[in-house]
Amino acid sequence: MSVAAEAAPLLAMRGVVKHFGGVQALRGVDFDLKRGEIHALLGENGAGKSTLMNVLSGVFAPDAGEMLLDGEHVRFDDPRAAQAAGVATIFQELDLVPSLDVTANLFLGRELARGGVLDRASMRKEAVKRLAVVGKDINVDQPVSELSVGRRQIVAIAKALTYASKILIMDEPTAALTASEVERLFAVMREIAARGVGIVYISHRLEEVPRVADRVTVMRDGQVAGVQAARAPQSELVRLLVGRPLDELYPKRAPSFGKPVLTLEHASFTPRTERPGWQAPEDVSLVVRAGEIVGLAGIMGAGRTELLTALYGAAGSGKWSGVVQIDGEPARLTSIRAARGEGLGLVTDDRRGSGLLIRDTVGRNMVLTVLKRVSPGFLMSRARENAFARQAIKSFDVRPPRPEIVVGALSGGNQQKVVIAKEVLGDPRLLLLDEPTRGVDVGAKGEIYARIRELAAKGMGVLVASSEMPELLGLCDRVVVLRKGRTVGEFPAGADEHQVLAAAERSEEELV
Amino acid sequence: MSQSATTGGAGAAPAPRRRRLDLFALLVRFQSVIGLVVVAIGGVIFSPRRHGAILFLQPDNMANIVRAVSETGIIAVGMTFVIITAGIDLSVGALLSLCSVLTATIMTTAGWGLIPTVLFVIACGAAFGAAQGTISNRFRLEPFIVTLAGLQVARGLALVISNNQYINISYGNGPGLAPPVFAILGDRLFNNIVPVATLVFVVVAVIATFVLNFTRFGRYVFAVGGNERAARLSGVPVSLVKISVYAITGLVSAIAGVVHAGQFNFGSANDGTGYELTAIAAVVIGGTSLFGGSGSMVGTVAGAVMLGALANILQLNNINAALQLLATGAIIVLAAVLQSLVRRREGLGR
Repeated sequence: MSVAAEAAPLLAMRGVVKHFGGVQALRGVDFDLKRGEIHALLGENGAGKSTLMNVLSGVFAPDAGEMLLDGEHVRFDDPRAAQAAGVATIFQELDLVPSLDVTANLFLGRELARGGVLDRASMRKEAVKRLAVVGKDINVDQPVSELSVGRRQIVAIAKALTYASKILIMDEPTAALTASEVERLFAVMREIAARGVGIVYISHRLEEVPRVADRVTVMRDGQVAGVQAARAPQSELVRLLVGRPLDELYPKRAPSFGKPVLTLEHASFTPRTERPGWQAPEDVSLVVRAGEIVGLAGIMGAGRTELLTALYGAAGSGKWSGVVQIDGEPARLTSIRAARGEGLGLVTDDRRGSGLLIRDTVGRNMVLTVLKRVSPGFLMSRARENAFARQAIKSFDVRPPRPEIVVGALSGGNQQKVVIAKEVLGDPRLLLLDEPTRGVDVGAKGEIYARIRELAAKGMGVLVASSEMPELLGLCDRVVVLRKGRTVGEFPAGADEHQVLAAAERSEEELV
Repeated sequence: MSQSATTGGAGAAPAPRRRRLDLFALLVRFQSVIGLVVVAIGGVIFSPRRHGAILFLQPDNMANIVRAVSETGIIAVGMTFVIITAGIDLSVGALLSLCSVLTATIMTTAGWGLIPTVLFVIACGAAFGAAQGTISNRFRLEPFIVTLAGLQVARGLALVISNNQYINISYGNGPGLAPPVFAILGDRLFNNIVPVATLVFVVVAVIATFVLNFTRFGRYVFAVGGNERAARLSGVPVSLVKISVYAITGLVSAIAGVVHAGQFNFGSANDGTGYELTAIAAVVIGGTSLFGGSGSMVGTVAGAVMLGALANILQLNNINAALQLLATGAIIVLAAVLQSLVRRREGLGR
């Protein structure tokens, strides 16, 4: 912050305008970045923050406006020109080659060579050095395909850090990271900023802003809604984000619980084939009652996703042991068919990868889980199909409310509503939700939480895994902590975030 | 819901762009129909004339076009199912050949009668396809490899059964003779205009269009190709669907094999070579994506007829076969480029 008034800002964007067809994505945006500053850029999906950064990194040419880098006019016609000028971007979708190892990825396109022959030893040594800052525990010889999403992100960050001499743009770098990985990343960011690099930090996570950023620019509808010090009250940032105060993201309710839907006592799942990086449920004890929302907390690799997929019978062949009961009766959850037969439904953490037929319409996606009920006979009934789809669209308030739209054209928040609505349409008694609001804007988050609570109030049991602690503590009636595939603690709603985090992360110290 | 207006705004904002894109997408969706119309117009313009009549438009010539495409057309219809699941079936041409040999052999030696023979051959084809689907699915092998092997196996079986000889079909009543009614497959009906083989193609295409668009199974096919993992998690019987689509290509190849035997009055182990590529070309020109998840049966039929019409025009003008290949290749590339443009416009990559 001390660098503040010294000279011309590192970057000044003035009156930037960008149209796509008839849509004005940017309507005259001013944005500036100082040397050594971490500047958060907030906005809901479609607010224009990604477009603005794409202009800065040379992906799009602006229709109007100017850019000054170090006080001089610049114009980037392609991403290479921006890179050459010292502007580097870490994209949400990582540009890594899965089949190559970490070292090869770090040096992709700029390999070290001696006399035309790759100098593997030097590259490996340098890779270890670079990763020491962000991810000591990553094996530089491992193919990227074997790394978890969180670790891939860290490799991508290490890669971009090598050529960001002036500006580093980070597009939601923490979306898939655990709390401790986030802390490590923030430390790295501060270190880079201290060397005079300006960092633009795009995020959905409001609570991260004061922890890492110096200033924050909030965008809405292609314009700057306000520029604030990062320590401004959250309520003020939310007001700027959505255009009006958002009273309660997590509305209070008086829950009443029924009989246990899911009961696990010392349950463990042994997959027939071992998979590296797949943390099997080893000793899980928990109960989800009708009408209850139970949270699953844990660091990345604790086995949250694995527990949900194993319960859903989607973890490949394997065997459950210990007590596994649905409605108090022993249940064999060894195939998706069996799990669905028991009334389970799963919303995965990857809506594009395993949740949606992204090029198909909203309506056809919605009815996928209930095709048998929509059309009991051989023939499809278009009328019944439409009725089902419209009901689901209405109950989740999917915008725009038109079943014939291709689902990939919706905003992230609305796509997520479709994924959840699709499962809910199947009337599960126990709904398993994995990261139900990943990559979703604040407004849609609130709507999704409200809907989940309504469903619970009608008697559905809900088991939610999330890496966002405020989400778990705000949404759930109880939070169960997983560590290395074991349940290690249970906290009531509204418990102290740090206590839960401590329970979830204790193992790290024990094991190192 | 107080916040809904905000998110609704974000979702609804790109509407004007969508509208225009839809027009473009519509164009691509019916690319093969449009292509067929263009080729037909070209046919009229460039057709040789005799006594002032346009040869291309003569009923005889028209009948020739639709007869020539009937076998590959029948196969392409089945191939559409496979390609929508993001699979491929290379065995179809060889299977046609095997089934023509089977038909001719049974008719001339076993004397089972028309209907049992045809049903048996069709069942064999479906079983052959189902076996390929099962192997590919059970051992997680690329369908490309499994059906490439299937191509060799089918061709090999045909050679063994036929002893690499044409098995000629003679008609009549008695041992060693096929029922005369079978010869109808080579005939034309309705004033000697509509080839029976074409009628079979039409019937197969109508049934397939219906199954793909109006049944639950059809919906499963699209879902498996659109996102196999999502389909599996949604409770779609993915393995069954994947096996079924190969059973369908096996079945239609057998139908085409029976038609082949009936049209030409023999079974041969050396026919049907390259039919798999013609069928795939018709499907791709018809707008079905090789990535799976989208496709159109009407497009496939139009694509198949268009390829036939194109070949016909070039033949009428005595343009050599090499140029026909070049033209077909160019059209396939054009169709694929159009699809890729749509994907890019939708921002869905690849």
